[in-house]
Amino acid sequence: MTDVFDADDLGTCISCGFCLPSCPTYKLTGDESSSPRGRIALMRAVEGGEIDLFDPAALEQGSFCLGCRACEPVCPAGVPYGRLLEDLRDAQWKGRRRPMRIRPLLAFAARERLIRLVGRFRRHARFTTPETDTTLMLGCFERVLLPGVSRAAATTLPGVAIPLDQGCCGALHAHNGERALGEQMARRLADRPGRIISTAGGCSAHLAAVVGRDRVVDYSEALLEDGPLPGPILVDGRRARIGLQDSCHLRNGLGISEAPRRVISALGDYIEVPGAADCCGAAGTYSLLRRRDSRRVLAPKMAELSSLKLDFLVVVNPGCQRQLITEVRRARLRTRVLHLAELVEMAQRGPR
Amino acid sequence: MRTLSGTKAISADLSKIVGSVNVEVRPAALVPYRTDATFGFAGLPTAVVRPGSAQEVSRILAWANQRSIPVVPRGAGSSLAAGAVPVQGGIVLALTRMNRILSIDPVDLIAVVEPGVTTQALAAAVREHGLHYPPDPGSKRVSTLGGNVATNAGGLHGLKYGNTGGYVLGLQAVLADGQIIRAGGRLLKDVAGYDLVHLLTGSEGTLAVLTELTLALRPAPAASGTGLAYFPDLESASKAVGGVIAAGILPATLEFLDARCIRAVEAHARLGLDTAAGALLLFGDDGSPDEVARTLRTMAGLMPDHGATSVQVATAAAESEALLAARRCALPALARSGGATILEDVGVPRSRLPDLVHRINTIAEAHEVTIATFGHAGDGNTHPTGCFDPADLAGRERVDAAFAEVFQAAIDLGGTITGEHGVGAAKLPYLSAQLGAAQTALQARIKKTFDPAGILNPGKVTR
Repeated sequence: MTDVFDADDLGTCISCGFCLPSCPTYKLTGDESSSPRGRIALMRAVEGGEIDLFDPAALEQGSFCLGCRACEPVCPAGVPYGRLLEDLRDAQWKGRRRPMRIRPLLAFAARERLIRLVGRFRRHARFTTPETDTTLMLGCFERVLLPGVSRAAATTLPGVAIPLDQGCCGALHAHNGERALGEQMARRLADRPGRIISTAGGCSAHLAAVVGRDRVVDYSEALLEDGPLPGPILVDGRRARIGLQDSCHLRNGLGISEAPRRVISALGDYIEVPGAADCCGAAGTYSLLRRRDSRRVLAPKMAELSSLKLDFLVVVNPGCQRQLITEVRRARLRTRVLHLAELVEMAQRGPR
Repeated sequence: MRTLSGTKAISADLSKIVGSVNVEVRPAALVPYRTDATFGFAGLPTAVVRPGSAQEVSRILAWANQRSIPVVPRGAGSSLAAGAVPVQGGIVLALTRMNRILSIDPVDLIAVVEPGVTTQALAAAVREHGLHYPPDPGSKRVSTLGGNVATNAGGLHGLKYGNTGGYVLGLQAVLADGQIIRAGGRLLKDVAGYDLVHLLTGSEGTLAVLTELTLALRPAPAASGTGLAYFPDLESASKAVGGVIAAGILPATLEFLDARCIRAVEAHARLGLDTAAGALLLFGDDGSPDEVARTLRTMAGLMPDHGATSVQVATAAAESEALLAARRCALPALARSGGATILEDVGVPRSRLPDLVHRINTIAEAHEVTIATFGHAGDGNTHPTGCFDPADLAGRERVDAAFAEVFQAAIDLGGTITGEHGVGAAKLPYLSAQLGAAQTALQARIKKTFDPAGILNPGKVTR
């Protein structure tokens, strides 16, 4: 017996197989080893001591899984698959076994001062501390790679606090084999009282799992609470055609899928991208660790996008944003990929 | 036989046929293929091989036949009778790569598919042509058509539309020695020779491996609707089923759930079901909008005569679909309420349904076990489900003992030990009680004729 998994979590699965068609890696391979039920069978064999935790085939499945949690909403038995995967990675990617390529990222995100410094250099939203108990969380990589997102969020949600002393929420760590640290970082971030607005689905789900759902507000929810939305965005005199890429953890972890769609419907003609709920392949560090598989997962979506001729493709998570900006550009589509906050800001500004 | 050199040789041989990426012999990658959706059955295969064509299947079978290596065909592994468990080891033949819909013909009303296509994928594809593939097994989102045909799968619309076998017009199959045959074809009428199409349908991979299926389609009904009625207990709900048929209606849906199932489904799906009710009967029909409205009205009208305490008719399609989805998730919802489940599928003639329900409850009480019952009330096929703590061995034995009596009760009432899941390994000990000695022996001779070396899914259906 190893002690990697929670026995109750592992015991929940009844092997019905309802998860198979929802799993992106099973769809790619048709191999049950790369399905949620198959990985749970593997975890059980590891827990029972039949298969070594570091068996190459076991390591491969721990890494091949996107962690998108699309299997959770379709699971009638309620298996907390995301938590089981975190358990597996926690054990498999410990210490020296952590993939080299992501070590600097994890180290960077755990250094609060460094993130702040680089983030300010990149000119993310300005720090402000009005009298309110609602704060806007600045994502660690979002500050650096996509500083416009927090600027747009701050403009479109005036009155929220953006405190100086905030670090990373630790989602990155929890998903990449450092759960204890990831949970500690989430608790630290949520140290001050009040609600936390997040523009990143991955962070929202992680924070909610650690500090409670009632403390976390997704940007789209905050916007709907806030009152009337700006009018439609016009492109060539007609209402813009706007699609959405769901954030997996926002949708599968927190069950938020309607709110961003409602916001977009006010800003233009909402077009449901077929497979909008399916992972775009970014999946946190996945696109760095398994670039080829990441692009294979995305391929069917790119085919849909090229025929939809959207003006805008909206994302609600920085990982998806980076992935889709890169791939949409590579495919030379005339669709602009931006965060929901950036689209709302554009609508507020009105026609230029 | 699981020596390293043996495994290496098997891997090398199979790789020559399908390519090394489609052969797996590493134990950690074989573990997922030990089980299917049945509780308590497992067997580790020596290898998993994923062929891409009938020719590859043929070469694999010829190879295995020469060496007397068991071959266990597998679709999505959603069997509830341990039909896909390699109980005697050997090779798992995973057919999921063969997942192309080859053609859909709106004039002949036919679809030709490879066995790895999911039931749902075909249903969605033919709907785009205004057509309808009626078989609707509870696991249709995941189950494959190859598995559906191999088990002659039933489902939610058996009363009006029959089961999978009624839609199989022709098939291509690979025999144990690797020969490829075609039986039947694209015709509704075809009586040339013994009906091998319907011998292989439901043969659970023990006689041949299905590699292509020619399936009958129907024009899509223009409308459908669903309603539900609550009853004080399952027996009165089953009597209402007789009332519907007596009124001259053959509805597309007549499903019932007992109180335990209602509570489990409601806890999972939150549809606003009445968790205080003793039983629930889902009734529905499809056809022209007028027809659907009329039959729903008639059915809703006669429910109170049979003791229904309240009746509702879903007005929107989404609402209707939610009700059916609730029924589909009954089993996993039961599992969610904690513990393990063993789901059976005994069937009796419709008129004996109230008797069966009564007997199940009496047996459960006598053995002090929890059996929740739901199922396809319209066609007499029920799913008594034993719920127990997997760690409690004595409890598990009581469930087994109770089910042995439930099977005998079904047989006594002129019914069957398995209406739609198949015999697999799980029902094999009880089969001869239903078939009798002469038929059991004849079935064994049929098996021997098709598969003299006994390589095809051994330990299932027949000894």
